[in-house]
Amino acid sequence: MASAKSELVQSRCRVTRAWTSTCLPSGHLVISPDSPQSPVLEIGTDFAATCMITNTDEVTADDLYWTLSGTVVPKEQYTRINKTALSVTVPITSEKREWLLCRCKNVSAYVVLNKGRFMHGIFLTKGYRPGKPENLSCIAVQEERYISPNITCVWEAAGRQTGFVPTTYTLNVRSNIGMYNVSTREKSATVSVGLFPNHETLDIWVEAHNTLGKVESEHLKEEANWFVKTNPPSDVRVISERTFPTSLLINWAHPIDEVYVKLTYEIRFCPSGSQNWTYVPLVDTAKGIQSFRLQNLQPDTVYVTQVRCKNAIERGYWSNWSTNATERTPEDRPRSKPDLWKIITEDESTARQVWFICKDPVLSNGRIIRFDIKIQDHKDRVKNRSGELESIPVNRSKADPSPSQQKITILKQISLDDKKSVEVYVTAVNSVGKSPEASLVITEKVNELPTVKDLKVQRNGGQLCLEWKPPARPVSEYVVEWVSGSRIDWQREKGSTKNTVIKGSLEKFVSYTVSVYPLYSGVTGKPASKEAFLEEGVPLIGPAVKLKGKPGCNEAELVWNEIPQHSRRGFITNYTIFYTSGTKTHNITVPANTTSYTLKSLSRSTKYDTWVIASTIRGSKRGFNHSFTTLKYGTGEIEGIVVGVCLSFLFVVLLTMLLCIYKKDVIKDNFWPRIPNPGESTIGNWSPDYPLKTETPKENCLSGISVLDVDVCDGKCGSEDDKASLPLKKDKYLSEEHSSGIGGSSCMSSPRQSVSDSDEGGDMADTTASTVQYSSVVASSNGYKGQTPNFQPQQAIFSRSESTQPLLDSEENPDMLLQEGSRQSQHFSRQPSFTHTAGNEDSADPADFNQLEMEQQVLEPLDFCPLEEETTPTDGQSADGLPAALVSSYMPQLGGYRPQ
Amino acid sequence: MNGHVKSMHFQQFMEPAATLLSLLLVMAVDSTRTVSASRNPGCNSLQQTLKLTRLVEKESVDLIKTYKVSQGEMSELFCKVSVNDVPDSNISGLEPSEWIVSIFTHLQAFFPHFKRVYEQQTDLQSPTSPLLAELTTVSTRSRSLAAFISSFYQGLFPNLPVPEPAGGPTTLPPPKNVFQQKVYGCVVLKTYKEFLSNVSQKLRTLKPKVCRRRMQINTLFFF
Repeated sequence: MASAKSELVQSRCRVTRAWTSTCLPSGHLVISPDSPQSPVLEIGTDFAATCMITNTDEVTADDLYWTLSGTVVPKEQYTRINKTALSVTVPITSEKREWLLCRCKNVSAYVVLNKGRFMHGIFLTKGYRPGKPENLSCIAVQEERYISPNITCVWEAAGRQTGFVPTTYTLNVRSNIGMYNVSTREKSATVSVGLFPNHETLDIWVEAHNTLGKVESEHLKEEANWFVKTNPPSDVRVISERTFPTSLLINWAHPIDEVYVKLTYEIRFCPSGSQNWTYVPLVDTAKGIQSFRLQNLQPDTVYVTQVRCKNAIERGYWSNWSTNATERTPEDRPRSKPDLWKIITEDESTARQVWFICKDPVLSNGRIIRFDIKIQDHKDRVKNRSGELESIPVNRSKADPSPSQQKITILKQISLDDKKSVEVYVTAVNSVGKSPEASLVITEKVNELPTVKDLKVQRNGGQLCLEWKPPARPVSEYVVEWVSGSRIDWQREKGSTKNTVIKGSLEKFVSYTVSVYPLYSGVTGKPASKEAFLEEGVPLIGPAVKLKGKPGCNEAELVWNEIPQHSRRGFITNYTIFYTSGTKTHNITVPANTTSYTLKSLSRSTKYDTWVIASTIRGSKRGFNHSFTTLKYGTGEIEGIVVGVCLSFLFVVLLTMLLCIYKKDVIKDNFWPRIPNPGESTIGNWSPDYPLKTETPKENCLSGISVLDVDVCDGKCGSEDDKASLPLKKDKYLSEEHSSGIGGSSCMSSPRQSVSDSDEGGDMADTTASTVQYSSVVASSNGYKGQTPNFQPQQAIFSRSESTQPLLDSEENPDMLLQEGSRQSQHFSRQPSFTHTAGNEDSADPADFNQLEMEQQVLEPLDFCPLEEETTPTDGQSADGLPAALVSSYMPQLGGYRPQ
Repeated sequence: MNGHVKSMHFQQFMEPAATLLSLLLVMAVDSTRTVSASRNPGCNSLQQTLKLTRLVEKESVDLIKTYKVSQGEMSELFCKVSVNDVPDSNISGLEPSEWIVSIFTHLQAFFPHFKRVYEQQTDLQSPTSPLLAELTTVSTRSRSLAAFISSFYQGLFPNLPVPEPAGGPTTLPPPKNVFQQKVYGCVVLKTYKEFLSNVSQKLRTLKPKVCRRRMQINTLFFF
């Protein structure tokens, strides 16, 4: 028995050697069930296999174990059947194919050496049972005059399938004379039955099958025509009959002979250009008819008609719709009034220009060929209704696709006095007849009836919505008018309406003036109006800015034009002015009603770029740049400067002239000094005892030459008032023999003689060594030395200053000044000491001058020159660079007393 | 008190009456539902048979036209010649069961002739000739019609024996020349067309009986 089994294993392995190397002819393990070697397992089930040991006693069932995809199966899933058999149960969960191996532990050297003999496996292929096909449907279409014998069916596959266990579908069709089928792995198939079995019963179903099983769909057992889809009706024709303006007759032909399929029809129609189809009830077309009359249509309207058909039995497939059959219904007389309206323009005159306009009647029922208009005075209406009837022909092209109700015809223009009112009657006429009469009353301007209140115009969902409160008086009708530029349109609303939407075609970004007119039994009331945009946008162009006039030094006035209405595309919310000089940009926002602005605080002589942007709620648009340059000088500024300079110059000239006039004597003395006549000189009689008094004029004459030294001193001492210097010069001139160190006012207070002449420098040391003075008055001893080689000691006056100011260092340290004094003495050896005092500004004091002059007269023999005390050194008089004049002012002590 | 007793008696009678009325109503509704659902199988079968008969009749008319066109000149004369050994177009039998069987038998008798005509025309026509296709179509439809007749007969007369195809060999004319073949073919088709016309006529006579009977049953049930 064992031998037979082994033989069986060996033969099986020969067969399957190609796909498993583990199965050897002399193997000691075998798995059951292992036929086929690649079992197909259903996912979701458990699979049990048994491993048996054959032809050996080396191992027992206890030495066996299972692996699935290389993973050892837990021992809990093992079942030891006997000493040589071990079974395992594994759940089939995943879709992947895998190996289930029975293996043996290495319990002996024989097992190790013959490992291949102690291993056996099977390859598990997994899949799902086929799902039941659902929603089976079949169709057979018409081909030429017959129904195609090819029946196409589709279905939905239920359940899942794996690639290793595919599901095959077989479509079966059974008729009275045979059975037809076709197999596929798709979800649709076409089976040919040779000849379509009209009127026979067909049994159609789908069978799904794979290696795990098979299942059938529900059977479709229906008459064959149930699956038929015919062609749409052919030769659909629409006939218009003049005597029936509201009717059209439709004829068509059966797409297939009735002996094959008895059909029912469906008809739909709509006005040309519309997609709102009207369907004829099926009960009216259920029979196998070939014509039908459409009724209650609009006259003179093009209708599009389509027909389709299907099997007359309860179920079946509708054919496609037939191609469009188009026909226009005959004309009928207009059944509604023309839409009469007016345009009134007013100017300064007392007459209004009135245009009467109208649209075709809504139910024009044909092509309007003319309008009959009659205008009469409103007050005469009751008396005489028969005004002059005027016909206004209109030429409408039938090729024009736009509805005639949207066309506006200008009927007549009249000039109407503000105090007059008229009533207008209009009828529209087509080729069949005339319409009911429309009327409109234009009242006197002063008697306009009340308007609506609180008109609001809002955008909502791409439409303009209007809302208003009705006037107190009952309104029969409202006219909503919208005007954009030269375009006008209007619509009528019932008297009970309080809100509406504009039904006309509005354009985006266009400004509309929306007005609501109440009509009181045909009499128009005063309108209420609002501006509105259907949608706002960014302006197309920006404001063009320019300067108004010329720019100033610090300001410039800008002006800009309003953006044209058609370019605004929205309400301007504000303007923003930008200006920049290149470094910093400034902006100013001004209201929308502003068109000019003055820029201020601009810099002089600066180039500015400026531009203006206009803003709407949707955005802004920048205008072009404009550049300007501010002026360096304002208007009249140059003239002012010139005038100022001229005036100043004139003033100076005048002042100079006045000075010259008033001080002509001084000037004369300075520029044309009196030169003493040498012939009158008393030098010949000079003696030391000769009183100085008589010589003073002579000295003065000579000292006048020293005026040149004063000029030099002026240059060294900085600014000096000429005016002040004049008396001083005069004083010097008068006191040529005298010099004062400090304190001119007190120079005459003491008769002590001051020594300032550098020529007597050697004597000065002796004098100053024992004397400390606040100031000293030095009698000038130089001058015309030749003429006065010896100074009169008794004539020298020493004056002690009353000033409390301490002496300068140079005064307190005569040693330091000694040498310098010597140098200066040498340097100024030819300069009279009084010339240095000319730098004292204080000496310009006229009081001092007068006093001096007076004293000069009183003390003429002394003839000392007062020297002002210099209290504060100027910048040019620093200690280091002490001017020679100042130094010499403190030098009297150096000289000491002039030797008598 | 008396009034109350009378009321009690009235109630005792009312309960069975209401039950009976309810039962009748349920039966009526159920019967109506059944009739409307099945729509009288015999009538349906008759109507289907009639439709198919008219279809085959129409196709046989078209076939004769195609045949005449395809036979060339003098084709009109072909069909006016009488030929023996062609099944009779008349239906025998007075009772429906008899003439239905006669119809079935005649249909069976025509099949060999169709086959002979097809063979003859195969030699005379090109393989793509519409005549051959139409011949095949009419032959196929005739077989379906025979199956319909048999089915209708079984439905109408379930206790009668099922009509069987003719057992003996059909007598076919001996081989003839082409002209005779053309004449033969036309006569077969013409005779078959006349036969179908008779079948339609016969079946229409049956329609009121088969389809009205059920309607009468319903009517009687309600009144």
